[in-house]
Amino acid sequence: MSVRSGSGKSRITVDISLPTRKRTPWGPVLLKWLCWLAGVMTMGVLMLIVLYILVNGVPEFFFRDENGALQFKDQLFALKYNSKNLSMFPAIINTLLMTALSLLFSVPLGVGGGIYLAEYAKPGSKLVKVIRVTAETLTGIPSIIYALFGMLVFVVTLGIGISMLAGALTLGTMTLPLILRQTEESLLGVPMSYREGSYGLGAGKLRTTLRIVLPVAMPGILAAVLLSIGRISGETAALIFTSGTGTRIAGLYDSGRTLAVHLFKLQEEGRAVGASFAVAVVLLAVVVLMNALSVYIAGKLTTKG
Amino acid sequence: MAAACVCILAVGVICYFLFANGLPFFAQYAVSDFISGKEWAPLRGVFGILPMIVGSFVITLGALLLGAPAGVLTAIMMARFSSGKAVRLMKPAVALLAGIPSVVYGFFGLMLLVPFTRSILGGDGLSILVAAILLAIMILPTIIQTSRAAIEAVPNAYYEGSLALGASHESSVFRAILPAARSGIVSGIVLGIGRAIGETTAVLMVAGNQARLPTSLLKGVRALTVNVLLEMGYAADLHRASLIATGVILFVIVMAVNIIFSFYNRRRVLQ
Amino acid sequence: MEIRKILLLALSLTLCAVVAQAGFDASRVISVVSREEGSGTRGAFVELTGVLAKNSEGVEVDSTYAEAVIANGTNLVLTTVAGNDAAIGYASLSSVLHSDTVKALRVEGVEASTGNILNGTYKIARPFNVVTNGNLTDPLALDFMRFVMSREGQAIVSDDGLVSDANGQTPAYVAAGLAGSLTIGGSTSVAPVMELLGEAYMELNPDAVIEVQSTGSSAGVTGALDGTYDIGMASRALKDSEVEKGALGIVIGTDGIVLVVNLNNPLEDISVEQARQIFTGEITTWADLNK
Repeated sequence: MSVRSGSGKSRITVDISLPTRKRTPWGPVLLKWLCWLAGVMTMGVLMLIVLYILVNGVPEFFFRDENGALQFKDQLFALKYNSKNLSMFPAIINTLLMTALSLLFSVPLGVGGGIYLAEYAKPGSKLVKVIRVTAETLTGIPSIIYALFGMLVFVVTLGIGISMLAGALTLGTMTLPLILRQTEESLLGVPMSYREGSYGLGAGKLRTTLRIVLPVAMPGILAAVLLSIGRISGETAALIFTSGTGTRIAGLYDSGRTLAVHLFKLQEEGRAVGASFAVAVVLLAVVVLMNALSVYIAGKLTTKG
Repeated sequence: MAAACVCILAVGVICYFLFANGLPFFAQYAVSDFISGKEWAPLRGVFGILPMIVGSFVITLGALLLGAPAGVLTAIMMARFSSGKAVRLMKPAVALLAGIPSVVYGFFGLMLLVPFTRSILGGDGLSILVAAILLAIMILPTIIQTSRAAIEAVPNAYYEGSLALGASHESSVFRAILPAARSGIVSGIVLGIGRAIGETTAVLMVAGNQARLPTSLLKGVRALTVNVLLEMGYAADLHRASLIATGVILFVIVMAVNIIFSFYNRRRVLQ
Repeated sequence: MEIRKILLLALSLTLCAVVAQAGFDASRVISVVSREEGSGTRGAFVELTGVLAKNSEGVEVDSTYAEAVIANGTNLVLTTVAGNDAAIGYASLSSVLHSDTVKALRVEGVEASTGNILNGTYKIARPFNVVTNGNLTDPLALDFMRFVMSREGQAIVSDDGLVSDANGQTPAYVAAGLAGSLTIGGSTSVAPVMELLGEAYMELNPDAVIEVQSTGSSAGVTGALDGTYDIGMASRALKDSEVEKGALGIVIGTDGIVLVVNLNNPLEDISVEQARQIFTGEITTWADLNK
């Protein structure tokens, strides 16, 4: 299928020079059906994966007691992890902490940088170009390189050691460009007339930016933040080398594992593969929740704006 | 407000530390031997990463051949050929696909795709083919989301103009809208390439990870990222340096892809 | 749309069903599953089976078959072998004991069990070490080590499937009630039993916190030397280069390495020589092995 559609695509590029040529009714129609096929395949793959996780994971939350009645395994959410209860509760708290810490670092810097680029920097200046290229580069760097970077810089050179802080700094660096670029793009998307109207009413630059432009661009910025949260909660490679695999609810300088790392570690030694599926279900729920939240917030903000 | 400079700083620091830790390795081991060496036996002091470079390249290419057409076509379907109902269903579905952690993808690949290809095509099952299919699935949401945004951003006037000239709905989509959205679609595909080259955990679980040049699509292969993750925990001294140097090579490759793409974009703009 | 989705689901489920296995085909190429270079388990395995041998120039060479699948971690080995009729792999006895998805082979007719490792008839075994920088002064670390080597600690070790040297003379542990925290890191194979030990210790000494990090044997030794970890873990004997830097290993138990095959594989017994031939790629099909 891929080959056929690939050649189909190259045909399109040849044909654009003659946009007015009518006829060839079947080609585009065929392509349309290929589109549908691709769409259905995408949905099918997704359902297969989700089904696979649910089928394997959901039963892990329950057990049969001596009377044969189905019981919820609340030990999975016990306050402390040990190798018998395999509680994911500390990992859930660590995930929240890690997300909050990373965002504490990347959101102010990213949004601030984005505002600077969109509103204050001279368009087309050298600095803007350099920042844009570097941000683009940073977005493309694989997480395993962030892992090496975090390990070499935060853990070893700065001497923070394997800790939540080192992990959060690494992930903060990783999500910074995402937030920066999205903020800039959202701000640039705000019509000039909004700013002009605000100036016309006598507002200053800062006031205009913060009170008029920023709220309008908010859905875009929030989308970036939610995307970052997704990346943080799903990251494994970059965290194993920086925040480690500690099993307790971690403080700033303690090692602590997030849910994704917990999942990776549970399956690694082959002693708790079942429980790792339960973690996968929770992670999936987090993703769904995050998406729903972003749709909700975006909807609220759009109706307000 | 010059907080944006932190970005530059970050790139600078990343480059500095990667290179400062990776380059001394090249003082002891020739770059050419490193890149073109076909044998990887770190405990004997033989460090050739050509198999890993080829490995990363092959699975990325495979993922692209499978994932890019499927992703772009899905995006077109969502943007132009479907009812609002289907899109309402598919939008969160694609977002969900994007949010599934790679460990879970890896498990899915190992438990379903690997036995499946083994029973149909033979071999170990842990193969380039499966790694490529899995990566294709993983880059789908990236490509779909970016392409869809690009297609929807094309002003409706293009489409209406084409209709007015007598073209059908389908022709208008493929001849008028698609070319206009091309640069957005390409940037989606480039993002997909980035994700495919950079993926570690999922590839590690399904690719077999043999550090030698593969001879068929049904053989396993080791990617650059996997090489780092596999051995970092054990490595010491020169071996450790060689892994950081592997990271440097990976970094250079990713940078090169980005630069080529931005050149392409600039040329388009100039035209 | 709805019907199409249901059809698709049905199709995918059939695909999964097709995967269900047929009979064992001995003409198939053996799928060799090994571990990553540097893994403690692999290091011990290649040494004990002769896959690691001196070449004509007297240099030790690990000639593991280039086509061998490299799995990182015991689970990946077990999962891969469990899902592939033609596969063979090796894993730590203490982990295989917790799994019923693969078949453990006898080696030279001897079953892999703690008893047979203790009496020396099962040959493929390696020590689990804890590593210090040779100069352990922290009272908590010393007390924890006392616990690990005590009758109670060694009972946990042998319950987990390791072989303990403990005997009637081994002293009992008396809780000192120390407070503080201890970071132990290293081998992923040693980590599970260390976690159990830590939990038992914390129960006896409620004010102490034992943190176990699983990163890999070499990282454990390096960490113990540079102070990242108070105590390191290694699932192999220490290297000369590590001992020179001041690393001191204490054996807390001995772990067998078990050769595992798929449940459908009729093979029950393997010789060390056959294992060597398979893992160096001299034998490539199951039919050849039985000749």
